[in-house]
Amino acid sequence: MFIFKIFIQNQRAFLRSSSAFLLITLLIFFIKPVQSQTPSDAIMMKKMEFCGLLSYTNGQFNRYWEGDLLRKNKTIQTVHRQGVMPMVAFGVNKWLNVYAGLPYIWTYSSVPNGGYFAGASGFQDFSLAVKAWILEKSNDKGRINLLSSLSLSTPATKYLGDYLPYSLGLGDQQILPRLIAEGGLAKGPYVRASWGYQFRGYSKAERDYHYNNGSVYSYYMDVPGAWVYDLTLGTWLFQNQLKFEAAYMGTKSTSGDDIRPYNAPQPTNRTEIDQYSLLVHFYPKQVKGAGIVVQYNDVIRGRNAANMTSMSVGLTYQFSILKQGNQ
Amino acid sequence: MKKIHLLNILFTASLLIISCQEDLPSFNGFESYTYSKEDKNGGEWKTTLIASPNEIAIPVPGEVTSSTYQAELEAAIKANAEATEEQKEAVKYWTNNPGVRWNEIALELIAKYNLIPGPTSEDVYILPDPANPDGPSKFPFAHPPYAVRALAYLSTAQFDGLITAWHYKYLYNRPAASTLTQQMKTLYDAQNIPAYPSEGAVIAASALDVLKVMFPLEADFLTEKYNDAIEALNVSGHYVNSDIQAGVTIGKAIAAKALARASTDGMKSAQTPKPISDSIKQAAIDRFGWYWENLELPTRPVGLTPLYGKVKMWNVPNVIDVRPGPPPSIGTKELDDDIKKLEDIANSMTRERRAIANFWQDGLGTYTPPGHWNKIATDLIVANRLNPLRTARTFAYLNMAMMDGGIACWDAKYYYHYPRPIQLIPGFRTIAGTPNFPSYTSGHSVFSAAGAEILAYVFPEKATTLREWALEAAVSRVYGGIHWSFDATVGTSQGINVANYTLTKAKSDGAE
Repeated sequence: MFIFKIFIQNQRAFLRSSSAFLLITLLIFFIKPVQSQTPSDAIMMKKMEFCGLLSYTNGQFNRYWEGDLLRKNKTIQTVHRQGVMPMVAFGVNKWLNVYAGLPYIWTYSSVPNGGYFAGASGFQDFSLAVKAWILEKSNDKGRINLLSSLSLSTPATKYLGDYLPYSLGLGDQQILPRLIAEGGLAKGPYVRASWGYQFRGYSKAERDYHYNNGSVYSYYMDVPGAWVYDLTLGTWLFQNQLKFEAAYMGTKSTSGDDIRPYNAPQPTNRTEIDQYSLLVHFYPKQVKGAGIVVQYNDVIRGRNAANMTSMSVGLTYQFSILKQGNQ
Repeated sequence: MKKIHLLNILFTASLLIISCQEDLPSFNGFESYTYSKEDKNGGEWKTTLIASPNEIAIPVPGEVTSSTYQAELEAAIKANAEATEEQKEAVKYWTNNPGVRWNEIALELIAKYNLIPGPTSEDVYILPDPANPDGPSKFPFAHPPYAVRALAYLSTAQFDGLITAWHYKYLYNRPAASTLTQQMKTLYDAQNIPAYPSEGAVIAASALDVLKVMFPLEADFLTEKYNDAIEALNVSGHYVNSDIQAGVTIGKAIAAKALARASTDGMKSAQTPKPISDSIKQAAIDRFGWYWENLELPTRPVGLTPLYGKVKMWNVPNVIDVRPGPPPSIGTKELDDDIKKLEDIANSMTRERRAIANFWQDGLGTYTPPGHWNKIATDLIVANRLNPLRTARTFAYLNMAMMDGGIACWDAKYYYHYPRPIQLIPGFRTIAGTPNFPSYTSGHSVFSAAGAEILAYVFPEKATTLREWALEAAVSRVYGGIHWSFDATVGTSQGINVANYTLTKAKSDGAE
């Protein structure tokens, strides 16, 4: 599910943010596929289990919301955002998993365009997350799980957040505590919901003044925090060889300014995003521990956000450094 | 339970980090200070908008022993004693040098209104119209030529207003209310400067009237600021009502003089209709064989203010006197070398160059390059503890020189009508936005050089640094990919040249 993360990230990052989503997705979505080797009996990876993921995401938009106004802008035409995301997950034990990831991203506009702006490329934000089981109830008919996660992210390079819509990310540090609840039948469908608040720090610009509903005499831009929430319906098919999920994901900033008319976005913008996602994760029997994941993501409503559509493909591989039976 | 414990620790750490966040400053954090000088002869300094302070009349003030004054003093003592926390905060905010605050307010409005009109859904551009400021495109579009002009009228009005105030202060020598009673609790010292008329009232009243015309949609906001400023004077303990009223009289009178000049300075005709714009372009083709064109989508039919070069200058007799020679012809080695230079810069962009391009960009949505130099001036004014009169003098010469620089630059831009880098370098991409006007000379270079020369004169100990900053601002446009290097170097010379006219005036105004 790591792919989700990049997707989400892409959509948001265009006009607003990016890196926190990465973590969110990591925590919420990525973890699941990792475990999907043993889907019927676990939500977390087991002790000493590793999972690696490598995905590629291709997103683009040719419309965005300027405040509430959905518009086109030939200055930027269609903005493309692509990324490669390596990620690892590790089971400290059955109750506590750790995740780390670092995406490489590149952005550019389609030609011709009226702005002639250079795109950007580079490593974005390094993210680290822990996820813990709070509650687990299961029997042979089904299960209920309650989990909690905390993700942190920080820019891995000195990329400039104040270069939207081409910035790699918003250039700020983020902290996201989150609750995750899941319930499902032993075989087949499940539902999962999560809810958290993304605390966001400052994005350091390369100028000492900017306008954010008034003058700000500082190199620092205040990136607004946001509620993040989602609801996922999923099921396992074909003897647990294939997982399918459909998800709604929401983001809602709790402060910030609107993009001003025909002006560039900036990290201080108040962002709202409603999007849905479809995901298929296939685990071929021929290669133990391996998986292929494909995801489609589309923003259906927003405020100061890109109307982004993206597609990701990724490879997952899970293995244990303990012998079977030692877990 | 171990896992939950760990989460608790992380969560607590998160809260700690979050609680460390502070509000970012929305104005210069200076407080009232002791002026470095009183400038008792300030009333004799040379004025710009009026022939002499006598052009503006105020009533002869009553003696402090008179019953009228005593009643005013009682009222001032009462207002001072009953000042609310909010009013005390206002006194603290406005300080004893409120001209700085009004300059900051002007910069904020410039940043708010520095938004280029976008195309409609039918791909048509509708320009702002002062007769219909609400739009569809809001008036004004506070681009650099507009911004520097607003700042020039604001600060010349304040300078002449304060010369007039200083004239009457030392003519009548009415002491500050706070020096006539032990009962006033003041947040700053009167410093032996006579109180009639109140300089703060001159500043507030002139700023209100000038800025209301420059930013008509902000009349309510400005009036609120004005009332706040006057109320702060009222409770400050230094002024009685007639001090403040006399200041308001001067402020309104000098603002009217400034606005009268503004209404006939040629700015109204600067944004031309397309036929005139096309004829200007054709003239360049006939003369030089090259032309600049707007490459935006949809194409903007007219560049920004093609006739700004014809706006009335402050201190340069004729704009032709400061027009530079022509840029390199297309196809010459000099231009080819510059094309290669820009390509090399773009292909190996360094973090340092990117930071310079961004620091001085002052593009759409910001206070513009002239605004940036006003901000630099504020920092120096406060650091050098200038009094309100010298503050106004600094802003006035700074903005007159920069406006003259802008006019001279725009004259060259549309006379030579030289193409931008994206026009001559196939596939070229920039990290700064290419503006909607010709390339030669660079506005940033001219504004910055002119501004730096004035500030170097006022603050000679900072001259070297200021001139370095101006050069950095000039080359920032080359790093940004939107100017040729000769746009920047010739622009810098042009700015210095233009500023010398204002410096000649400054050096003989009686303040030295």
